[in-house]
Amino acid sequence: MSAPRWARAILRRAAPPGQEDAVVGDLEEAHRARTKRHHAATAWLLTAFETADMTWALLRQRRRPIPAFSWLDFKLGLRMLVRYPGLTAVGGLAIAFAIWVGAGFFEFGTQLLSPRLPLPDGDGVVMLRLYDVRTRKDQMPTAYDFLNWRKEVTTVGQMSAYRRIRRNLRTGDGPGEPATITRMSATGFDVAGVPPLLGRTLTSADEVPGATDVVVIGHDLWQARFGGNPDVVGRSVQLGRDRATIIGVMPEGFGFPIADQLWTPLRLADADLTPGAGLRLEVFGRVAPEHSIGEARNELELLAVRTSIDFPEAYEHLQVDVVSFKLGALGIPPRSKSAVVAGVISWNVAVVLFVMVICANVALLIFARAAARESELVVRSALGASRARIVAQLFVEALVLGMVGAAVGLTAAGYGLRWGMNVVATQVMGSGGLSLPFWMSDTLSSTTVAYALILTAVGAGVAGILPAFKVTRDVGSSLRRASAGGGGIQFGGVWTVVIVSQVAVTIALPVGAFLFREELVKVEEVDIGVPTDEYLAARLEMDREPPPDRPADTTAAAFAERYRTALGELAERLRAEPSVSVVTFAEKLPLMYHPWHQIEVDEGGMEPPDLRGHRGGVSGVDPGYFEALGVPILSGRGFGAGDLESDAHTVIVNESFVRRVLGGKNPLGRRIQIIASEASREPDRTVPWHEIVGVVPDLGQQSGYGALGPMGVYYAAAPDDVYPIHIAIRGGKDPLSLIPRVLAAATEVDPTLRVQNIIRMDETAKDDVTFYRFFIGLIGIGSGLALLLSMAGIYAVMSFTVSKRTREIGIRVALGSDPTRVTAAIFRRPLLQLGSGVLVGTFLAWVLIESSPRVNGLGALGGAAVYSLLMTCVCLLACVVPTRRALRIEPSEALRADG
Amino acid sequence: MPTDSLAEFELLVLLAAVRLGSDEAYTVSIAREIAERTGRSVRRANVYTTLQRLEAKGMVASRMGLPHPERGGRPPRLVRVEPRGLAAVRATTGAIHAMSGDLDDLLGQPS
Repeated sequence: MSAPRWARAILRRAAPPGQEDAVVGDLEEAHRARTKRHHAATAWLLTAFETADMTWALLRQRRRPIPAFSWLDFKLGLRMLVRYPGLTAVGGLAIAFAIWVGAGFFEFGTQLLSPRLPLPDGDGVVMLRLYDVRTRKDQMPTAYDFLNWRKEVTTVGQMSAYRRIRRNLRTGDGPGEPATITRMSATGFDVAGVPPLLGRTLTSADEVPGATDVVVIGHDLWQARFGGNPDVVGRSVQLGRDRATIIGVMPEGFGFPIADQLWTPLRLADADLTPGAGLRLEVFGRVAPEHSIGEARNELELLAVRTSIDFPEAYEHLQVDVVSFKLGALGIPPRSKSAVVAGVISWNVAVVLFVMVICANVALLIFARAAARESELVVRSALGASRARIVAQLFVEALVLGMVGAAVGLTAAGYGLRWGMNVVATQVMGSGGLSLPFWMSDTLSSTTVAYALILTAVGAGVAGILPAFKVTRDVGSSLRRASAGGGGIQFGGVWTVVIVSQVAVTIALPVGAFLFREELVKVEEVDIGVPTDEYLAARLEMDREPPPDRPADTTAAAFAERYRTALGELAERLRAEPSVSVVTFAEKLPLMYHPWHQIEVDEGGMEPPDLRGHRGGVSGVDPGYFEALGVPILSGRGFGAGDLESDAHTVIVNESFVRRVLGGKNPLGRRIQIIASEASREPDRTVPWHEIVGVVPDLGQQSGYGALGPMGVYYAAAPDDVYPIHIAIRGGKDPLSLIPRVLAAATEVDPTLRVQNIIRMDETAKDDVTFYRFFIGLIGIGSGLALLLSMAGIYAVMSFTVSKRTREIGIRVALGSDPTRVTAAIFRRPLLQLGSGVLVGTFLAWVLIESSPRVNGLGALGGAAVYSLLMTCVCLLACVVPTRRALRIEPSEALRADG
Repeated sequence: MPTDSLAEFELLVLLAAVRLGSDEAYTVSIAREIAERTGRSVRRANVYTTLQRLEAKGMVASRMGLPHPERGGRPPRLVRVEPRGLAAVRATTGAIHAMSGDLDDLLGQPS
């Protein structure tokens, strides 16, 4: 089998003169020998690698001189910026946008997927995880595992563990506010290697049962709750039911392990140490200096084998993994590491491609400018400038433009990152009681700046060198033709492809924008007939440990009883408030995201939209829920106390459900099954049938399946049936003023009752609004820029092409051609290019609309039509001006000019 | 004229060329010879570059051989070791022997 043709061609071109046959012969011989030893595909791959290797060696041998750059080139580049302000504005803006998006996403992606731990020798910190080969899932180690490893393992030092709990934090007489507490081994601070700002960190003495309860606080908490008071050490705070003394304050930016602000000692003296059972912990440590992570892995694997022999039932299906801390702490399974690496690579490839597409567009503009400077280039060539020198000059001009764009783009990326991190921290993670990991920074790293500069240089290569090669290839012949009075540079087939693609992409872009706009409108304009701005919404959680004055009953039933009593008391206290008119509970309140469940219906239902069946959001609600919200029962009845009985099995559905599942037929008396997404995978599990007893309007349920309108099912639930439950409180025109009272009432009822995410109900969907607004903005700017670039590019190319044919028009008219026919002939090619672009773009838009049922097809196509019309106008304008100029030329002048 | 010194890979290439003889020594056969005798993987690009360098130093000379069907009917570029190359090989191997001759007990037998 012969060597691949492309490999032969590459080597032939790279080989020094006279050695082509010998070099290609060597390749042929080596490839044939390989095909005898390896599979054809392997041989092909090896030959491909060898061709690349050999080509590089041959090119190095040839040592072609690299054209030198001079400061004059940069000066000329700056002058070009001023001389062609239109190109500077459009091209610079486009590159700025590309760098803004590219650098911003690179920074965010790198921080998310491949972070650096800002601790002394952060790479040495590892996490120890268990992997269940039966379920193929990671598992947190138990207290037994941790203590066993700490005793036996020598390759990982300072073995530590932590677990997080939620507690109400009270720093004075005010109400408690939910906070996350990290119970951590004292050695955890040694692993981090960061000294405290004030006081001390935890010590092993603090872990002894009966020792004074102590807490170390973070810098942010110190500032927020204690105003940065330097005398804070020694003061006490209330954590749930317990009081703890502050013993130290950690410095700013420290949030080890992830984003933690309150550390208490992890006490395991009374922990359940049954192998494979009991308390689950996150275990971490530092690889000992004289050992590697591989040695640590080997030692732990050996230990795991020993443990599985001693306790086969609990351990024979478990493996131990030693992973880098940053991946482990974020819960990224070690087996997904390759997926993370692939994610980083594909992320970067996408960014590079995006920048290259923009630069290809700028290349079109630069080519048009270079073509317009044809005479200058011809003269330079005639005066002895080599092709390499001219290419270098055009590259530097593009580089100067790129640097200006990059400076603007990087500045914007810096602001964008700060804004983005703030949005993620406060609105996305903050609403879930979470914070960003402490190693994430809101400033651009030097790596990102270097990345952006490399992108700019590569982009300048695309935008500058490609047109430069095209222009300089024709300079020699132009020189000859110029001496005969003819013109040289032409826009060839490549540029036709560029124009057609550009028009197509520009026309398809509005569909993307419409996709997000439709979602935003849905979220923003949803009117559920409930004055949501008069309600407060919150999630209620409570410590599971019983109070010291009660029997130490830790069963779920005992907790449910205490939870129900606490909620009942809270509701009573709140109803006693003069401004509170309504208090009600539900698993999910209106406008909240409702996890979807599969719905089966008795005979006569509509065909489900796909194989996954009908799916809708399901929520357990207080029997008085609809009445409390003022939601009318459209048919049937509302819930009563009898619906709480375990054998009641009644549901109320919303209008979308009736329309989509039952085709608008009478739903009362019909029966449905609610199959939780997990249970739906177990066909032998019996799921009860529920009778539909009423219909309510749509209440703005958001779920992952809202393509055809939110489909909702409600069942009656007592407060302890669902944990955690949400509370809705109607508090008149200014419900936010009630917050202190709600928090105080909760603390009075039970100091461990936590009021989480308390907000006005109409702000429930604000995360989605912010998210959609951000992407609509991004697509809007991108779409606008694409349109601007397209129009500028098309105008430049079209007007250049037509003006190049000025003499031809003059001569045709001089020879008696009809000006109308001449004009039609001139317009044919540009209009063909535009028409092809519009056709391809419309097809792309149609594909996008078909694959996105949420998009309003007509609206998106309308946007595409407006873009097409604009493009046509620009194209016609670009053709009309030079054509009219050409038609005005006297035939005799045209003939003389040609001679 | 001072004797040229050789880098390790240059020495291997020259020794392979000497072994193969002027009618059989070319890039592919030299790479194969080194790989078979030393058991190490040899990149053809390295052999090519080394031969170019040795030719520039006047240690080898090249000529085109006869076309061969295994090479797609193309000729090999055969190399012949020049006296200067032989002298360099002698000098380098001599130096190695001089340095390692009485160290057999310490170095052990080559594996």
